[in-house]
Amino acid sequence: MSQEIVQVKNLDLTYKSLHAVRNVSFSVRSGEVVAVIGQNGSGKTSSVECIEGLRKPSGGSVSVFGKDPWTCRSEVYKEMGVGLQEAEYPSKIRVEELCRLFASFYERPADWNLLLTQMDLDEKRKRPVEKLSGGEKQRLSIILALMGRPRLLVLDELTTGLDPEVRQNMLTGLQNIRNSGVAIIMVSHYLDEAEALADKILYLEKGEQLFFGTQNEFRKFVKDRVPQEDLSENAPLEKLYLMIAPKTNGLTMEGIL
Amino acid sequence: MKRFAVILKTEMLLFSRDFFGFFFTLVFPVMMLLLFGGIYGNEPVYDGADMGMMDISVPAYSVMIMGVTGLMALPLTLSGYKEKNIYKRFDAAPAGKKSIIAAQVLVNLIMTLIGILVLLIVGKLVYNIQIKGDIFGIFTGILFSAAAMFSMGFLFTAVGRDLKSTSVLCYPFYFVMMFLSGATMPDMLFPDTIKKISGLLPMTYAVDLMQGIFSGDGLSLHGKELIILGSLTVAFTVIGAFLYKRKDWT
Repeated sequence: MSQEIVQVKNLDLTYKSLHAVRNVSFSVRSGEVVAVIGQNGSGKTSSVECIEGLRKPSGGSVSVFGKDPWTCRSEVYKEMGVGLQEAEYPSKIRVEELCRLFASFYERPADWNLLLTQMDLDEKRKRPVEKLSGGEKQRLSIILALMGRPRLLVLDELTTGLDPEVRQNMLTGLQNIRNSGVAIIMVSHYLDEAEALADKILYLEKGEQLFFGTQNEFRKFVKDRVPQEDLSENAPLEKLYLMIAPKTNGLTMEGIL
Repeated sequence: MKRFAVILKTEMLLFSRDFFGFFFTLVFPVMMLLLFGGIYGNEPVYDGADMGMMDISVPAYSVMIMGVTGLMALPLTLSGYKEKNIYKRFDAAPAGKKSIIAAQVLVNLIMTLIGILVLLIVGKLVYNIQIKGDIFGIFTGILFSAAAMFSMGFLFTAVGRDLKSTSVLCYPFYFVMMFLSGATMPDMLFPDTIKKISGLLPMTYAVDLMQGIFSGDGLSLHGKELIILGSLTVAFTVIGAFLYKRKDWT
C-alpha cells in the first residue's frame, strides 16, 4: 500500500489584492506522479511553492510527510528535492563546487559524481555554472534536486527550453525515479510529458482547481464539458486540454506584414 | 556544523574570485599605505609628537577595509543573491538563506581581519609602525567598528529594492565616509565645515577609536566612540532585520 506523501486541503493564497490560488485540494502518494497543468498565471507555481514551504498559505492546509512545510521546512527538505522554475546560483561558482555544497546539506547525499556522469555533465564539472547552457543548467537542477535521495520530487517547468532528445532522456530518467517509489509533482506546459508520466492530473484555471484525477477521468471530464466534440478514447491529452482551456486572442499577423 | 563549514569555504572561494572585493580589501589599502608613506614617510605628525604619519594612517586604513567589506561587498552580494533568487534556491534546500547570510557576514569579517593583518605586516616591515595598544583593546575596536559598518550595509540591503537601488545607497555613503571620516586622509587637514560634516559620519568614530587604541589609549578613553558605534549597530540591525523580514523572498 503506497503511503500518502502530500496532502493539500482547501489551499488559498492571496498576494495583496490578487487571489492567486482558491480552494485547491489534492494528494500525492509514494511512487505517484501528479502533473499540474494550466495556463500561465493559473496558480500552478504558487500552489507548488506552498508545498515547497516557500510561501505561506493564506488559507487551508498543506502537509508534506505529515508536517507543515512552512513551519518545518528544514525537516521536510531532508526528504524533498526541488527543481525551481527559475533557479540561479552565485555567479562564479563551478559545477562541482555547487554539487559539493548541496551534498553537504544532507546526511546521506547521493553520489553526485555518478549523477554528473549520468546527466552528461561530467566534462563540465570545472565550468562556472553561469557559463552552462540552458539545458545543462536544467540537468544540474535535477542533480541538486536528487542530492538528498528524496522521497518527494517537485519539479517546476523543468524541461522548458530543452532540446527534444534531452527532454526525452529527462522523461526516461523521471520514469526510473518514479519506479523506485519517489513521488513526483511536476508543473509542465508540455502535455505529452504529463501524458507519458502522470498518474494524476491537477488542472488549474485562474487559481481555481477545475479537475484532479486520473488521465481517464480527465478524458471523461473533458467529454462532459464539451459533449458536442467527438473524442476518441485515445485522444492526446494536449487535444483534450485545448478543448477546455480558455481561448486566447489568435495571433494572425494580419495587417502586420 | 560541517554543513556551515562547507558553506563558509564556498563563500570564501567566491569572495576570492571577486576582483572588486579582493582588490579593495587586500591590495588597495596596501597601495594607499605605500603611496602616502612614499610621500610623507613615517615622520611625526607634528613637531614633538611621538606618533608618525603612518602610525596613525594604518588604523585609519583598517577602517577603510571595514568600509569596503561592510558597506560594499556584504550588502551588494546579499542584494545580488536576493535579486537573482539565489536565496530562494537555498530556501528550497535544508540549508536555508540564514546560513548563507551568516556565512557572508563571517566571510567578510574574516577578509577584514586578513586585510588589516596584511596592512599591519606591510606597515611594520616598510615603515616600522608603532602598535602601542594591547590585543584585547585592538580586537574590541575592530569588533565595534566592523559591527557598525556591517550593520549599516545590512540596513542598505534591507532598504534597497534590488541590486541597483542598494548600490545607489552603498556607493555614495561609502565614498563620502571614506574621504570625510579621516579614513584616507588625516582629519587634521580638514577645514572646519568639513570637520562638522565628518562629525556626523559613523566611520569618523570608527577612525577615532582605532587610531586611539592603536596609539595605546585604554578603551575607557573612548567611551563616546564605543557608545555611538554600539548604538548604531543595534539600531541598524534592528531596523534592517525588521525591513528584511518584510521583503518578499519568493
